Amino acid sequence: MIELKGISKSFPGVKSLDGVSFEARAGEIHALLGENGAGKSTLIKVMAGAYTPDEGTICFDGQERMWSNPRQAKDAGIHVIYQELLLFPELSVAENLYVGRPPRGIARLIDRKAMLRGAEAVLARLGHHLDPRARVKDLSVADRQMVEIGKALIGETKLLVLDEPTAVISGREADLLFERMETLRAAGVCLIYVSHRLEEIFRVANRVTVLKDGRHVATCPIAEVTRDSLVTMMVGRSLQDIFPAKPRPAASATPVLSVRDLRMAPKVRQVSFDLLPGEILGIAGLVGAGRSEVAHAIFGASTRDSGTVILDGLLHDRPTPRVSIDAGLGFLTEDRKGEGLLMLLDTAANISAPTLKGFVTSGFIDRDAEIQAARDEIGRFRIAVPGPTSGVSALSGGNQQKILFARWTRACRKVLILDEPTRGVDVGAKVEIYRIIRELADAGIGVIVISSELPEVVGLATRVLVMREGIVTGELSGEDISETAIMRLATADMADLAATAAA
Amino acid sequence: MASAAIPRRRVRIDLAIATVVGLLIVVLGFGATVSDRFATTANLLTVAEQAAALGFVAIGQTLAVLVGGIDLSVGAMVTAANVFVASFVHGSDVLMIPGLVAVLVLGAAIGLVNGIVTVRTGVHPLIVTLGTASILNGLVLLYTLQPTGKVPAWFEDFAYDTAFGLPIAGLVFLIAAAIVALVLARTGFGRAVYAVGGNYEAARLAGLPAERVTLMVYAASGFFAALAGAYYVSRTGTGDPRVGDPMTLASITPVVVGGTQLGGGKGGILGTVLGVLLISLVNNLLNYMNVSTFIQWVVQGLIIITAVSLFVNRGKRL
Repeated sequence: MIELKGISKSFPGVKSLDGVSFEARAGEIHALLGENGAGKSTLIKVMAGAYTPDEGTICFDGQERMWSNPRQAKDAGIHVIYQELLLFPELSVAENLYVGRPPRGIARLIDRKAMLRGAEAVLARLGHHLDPRARVKDLSVADRQMVEIGKALIGETKLLVLDEPTAVISGREADLLFERMETLRAAGVCLIYVSHRLEEIFRVANRVTVLKDGRHVATCPIAEVTRDSLVTMMVGRSLQDIFPAKPRPAASATPVLSVRDLRMAPKVRQVSFDLLPGEILGIAGLVGAGRSEVAHAIFGASTRDSGTVILDGLLHDRPTPRVSIDAGLGFLTEDRKGEGLLMLLDTAANISAPTLKGFVTSGFIDRDAEIQAARDEIGRFRIAVPGPTSGVSALSGGNQQKILFARWTRACRKVLILDEPTRGVDVGAKVEIYRIIRELADAGIGVIVISSELPEVVGLATRVLVMREGIVTGELSGEDISETAIMRLATADMADLAATAAA
Repeated sequence: MASAAIPRRRVRIDLAIATVVGLLIVVLGFGATVSDRFATTANLLTVAEQAAALGFVAIGQTLAVLVGGIDLSVGAMVTAANVFVASFVHGSDVLMIPGLVAVLVLGAAIGLVNGIVTVRTGVHPLIVTLGTASILNGLVLLYTLQPTGKVPAWFEDFAYDTAFGLPIAGLVFLIAAAIVALVLARTGFGRAVYAVGGNYEAARLAGLPAERVTLMVYAASGFFAALAGAYYVSRTGTGDPRVGDPMTLASITPVVVGGTQLGGGKGGILGTVLGVLLISLVNNLLNYMNVSTFIQWVVQGLIIITAVSLFVNRGKRL
């Protein structure tokens, strides 16, 4: 369907793609795999006409083509679904499906009836039950993705590219997405699927292409590779080395954090737990279970309704982020762009933000000291950034996340709450982040890891709380921690749980 | 991957300042050929003096824009402060200094209220300050429709006096600008202004005093507008209930021409100072050329559009 030959693309200072060849066929799901910075996004954008390659040729549907803008690629039948969905929240599903090319009726006015009928037909083809009149802003992220896929169907799409679609949806929604992808594949569409999640690739893909450092490493049928061999191709490291050994906190230690009957409507209904110093406590659950909100309520990012929080023996009441930081608490958000990084400030200022007071002498920031501290952290966390005074917005997810780790390990003395610490981060950076988490625990800090990635929770945590609909449905520790045990608690019906407890 | 974009920020700020400096040079050169009195020291000092009122207001406006907001109450504040000082002092020597102190405190206090309402209700500062402007204008016009009040003669001299051969008003403007620029560049407060302007929530969650910074910025904007109002009393000797009317929009021009980004987080005082000088020079030059005041408006509009389109980030990448 599409064949790229010897594609190279450079940006000032970086060769993003170096002679990459790639081909995908009609009726297959082709996984595109690689660490952040490997060149996946650039390759997608070359296919989509968003970038013009410096060298190489593109052959699409049997013809040599060179797109000069995304519109041409789209008209030829290439549709890309980026992570940030390009939908209009205030418009209806049908209007979004037909955006830019609505069915016209009398006097070129939009034929709303035809539009609704068409939208219904497309949704039916996807096997997805969705009211075409619903406003997109009221839909879940998973439903919005379906709308995006629906757009592709309306446009007679031959090649559909999905850029990490499951990074933002829950496991059950992902299952549904995979079913729809399979439907499209069976209908002869060529799908290119970009993801960090290896287990998904084995579920959906027919073939896989691995990129590393802007070069093509391998293209193989999925049956010929294993998890281990894929990881090795991506990072040159084997899977066993990903998680460090778990810490063993002294069970007799006094909790560094005690949370009792925490409530914050509507997401947090009742949460109580203790956290020991040196412990890594996982909080698992489906998206929407209220995990992030627990973190927000403890840190003071949002105001809780009721509940008691004791931090290192002191009542942590009505906190603001500043109060929490001064009390030794840190919070690394899941929303790196919206709540984490200060995109317009440089690396040094991002690292120093919560501890800026420490760099102020007689009213002025000691910029040299700040830069020196940042330089130390860049070395310590191996952050790939040109220097302490370079910006952060163009860095890869992994490097941005390491900057936030540098920020919070400096600021935090007692408890660090990590919300999705490896979201949008490549395998190599993940390994380093896991090591950092372990070092924090070894230093006696109580670490809470909130994560939707079950292997991560299982691999890291000494104890796991599982939440569902704002309530802790269970706690697992030691050998009992497994993906199945967590999923059982995360999807548990409250009545079932009560019955189990009674029996 | 696209790490090429890293140095862009710095380049763009320099580009804004370079653009304004370039325009300044063009105006000076053009002025020198048009009128032999234009490019004289005496005239340029006059320009510095005339620039002061706009300059004060523009410093405050820069802060409000940097923090991600805007202050549309500055014009009304100039008027209110102007009328307040003239009527309160009413020619009395004794009341002059207390009147000045009071107006600056009141200006800061009203600005603070703008900030508090913005932060607490989440209403956009454009709306809050528009409301404040309407209230202030209404109150002033209820009080008087005519120019009113007066100040001691020695205070009137103040506006035209010089120190070390330089106009006092221009000096005060430059010193104020230098202090604010230093605060922005080197203090924790300044850092927080940029952080909050870039992303309020991210700044707050990083422990920066997002709320306090926002309040302080609006207080400062009120303070500087009140200072401009007091300065107008010194220039005209009376309180004019319409003096601040053009100031609100006029104060935004040098801010954007100087490269401070609407929406916040980028820019600074240096650009604003250069923007103020550019606009004052152009107006002065047009005066020499004996053209209508309305031509000045047209030219200002052209300057905004030309300058900003020269350095704005074109061709947004995906």
